[in-house]
Amino acid sequence: MNRLLTVAEMTLRELLRRRGVLLLLLLMPLTFYLIRRDAYLGQSVRSLLLGVGWAVSTAALFATTAARELEPRLRLAGYRPHHLYLGRVLGLWTVGLVISVPFFLLPMIDGADLRYGGLAAALLCSVAVAAPFGMLIGALLPREMEGTLLLLTVVTVQMLIDPAGSGAKLTPFWSTREIATWAVDHTDQGYLARGVLHGLVVTALLVVGVAAVVSVRLRRRRHLRHLPVG
Amino acid sequence: MNADDWLRTLTAELHQRRVAADAARHVVAEAATHLREGGGDPWVVFGPPQQYAGAVVESIGTAPGPRPGPVRLHAAGITKRYGRRTVLHDATLTVRAGQIAAVVGANGCGKSTFLRICAGLISPDAGEVTVSGQLGYCPQSGGTADFLLADEHFVLVGAGQGVARGPARRAGRAAARQLGWEAGGDVQARHLSGGTRQKLNLTMSTLSAPDVLLLDEPYQGFDQGTYVNFWDQLSRLRDGGAAIVVVTHLLNQLDRVDIVLDLTPAQQAGWHAHGVQGGHL
Repeated sequence: MNRLLTVAEMTLRELLRRRGVLLLLLLMPLTFYLIRRDAYLGQSVRSLLLGVGWAVSTAALFATTAARELEPRLRLAGYRPHHLYLGRVLGLWTVGLVISVPFFLLPMIDGADLRYGGLAAALLCSVAVAAPFGMLIGALLPREMEGTLLLLTVVTVQMLIDPAGSGAKLTPFWSTREIATWAVDHTDQGYLARGVLHGLVVTALLVVGVAAVVSVRLRRRRHLRHLPVG
Repeated sequence: MNADDWLRTLTAELHQRRVAADAARHVVAEAATHLREGGGDPWVVFGPPQQYAGAVVESIGTAPGPRPGPVRLHAAGITKRYGRRTVLHDATLTVRAGQIAAVVGANGCGKSTFLRICAGLISPDAGEVTVSGQLGYCPQSGGTADFLLADEHFVLVGAGQGVARGPARRAGRAAARQLGWEAGGDVQARHLSGGTRQKLNLTMSTLSAPDVLLLDEPYQGFDQGTYVNFWDQLSRLRDGGAAIVVVTHLLNQLDRVDIVLDLTPAQQAGWHAHGVQGGHL
């Protein structure tokens, strides 16, 4: 447990020291919110949530790529793969929750008539999905440029796809959109239930995906035999 | 280099050449007295410290080195291909406790690949590696976190071994001091100079007191003094029973190692095939 928490702590420390990144993390959802502010409020809030998701995914992508060289030596230093990916996801979730607070307060200050419990759930969902999503891309693609472009593609598809279409459910942040609809448009509970279920399933699948990729990359190789000191 | 630096270098040279500790102290004290009383530039009076140390060794001999212990690393028949290109062919290396092995060869001959295979970071196409005890690895570059402090690196590595924060920090700072670096500041790794960053890299790899230490050209960016400290520390670790493998292209350091593995392909070098070359020097 100490190893897992140490990795989480160091992930948190690293991200908090990237002041430029933190600023952009805050600026991105704010821009998304303000740019749609003149239009229908629901779109503005949905854009805000997508902005949070994108920001946290990008932070996760960069944190994962930056740790690529460090992780093998931590593995040799006694860490198991699950200490590394779970510790990192824990640290990223914490950062995501911290940056979510002002975006929970923003519509409130703006006087929006929302179900604020729903907004909180949508933010949680967005952060929960975004961290392992960015990590998975970072684990699969070795270079930041490719990862960023893939992330951009996914988020663009997410923004443009018809949420009622069957393909929309395959996008990672569909859950956030459903919960946001419940929060903004005061629709029936089905939206909330579907959204929460989708969020949980997608988060679990992404964490399993990260676990699989990291475990394969940091596996004990068959050619190496360890003997105790004789 | 002033007189103090010269004497320090001479001390390290004598230590690395395994001159008995008492005799080395006596030689250094005599040289210091001579310089103090007679004055003059030690380079003029005695010549380069390496050369003087060599003359001392010729004159008084060396203390018998500790007998090599049990085998700690055995890499046998290592072959690695990237596409159609065979980088390593049937490379073999055995290192015992208390030995330093140098892996040498031309650029691109697979030195780093061989070390990464020994560390279990990549798989060979053929061959196997047996390691006894804890393994430490220092990459050629990278391997540190840009936004973390040196102390935080020590805590991170220490936690992997279940070492508490305080002892991990103290152990890290003590190991860094051996390389002439005071690591306790609040400077993030990205702001360290290239050489100091490599000291951090090296310190991290020795922190868990490994039985087998794999070093991939860890001295890049080191100044002369640090370079001397580096080999001095390797000698200490060897004398402490570690088995050390160091990738190097600096052939002038080969007199300080016990085993040489030259990976230069035969057709390129014209004088070496694959596998273990050299043996005890």
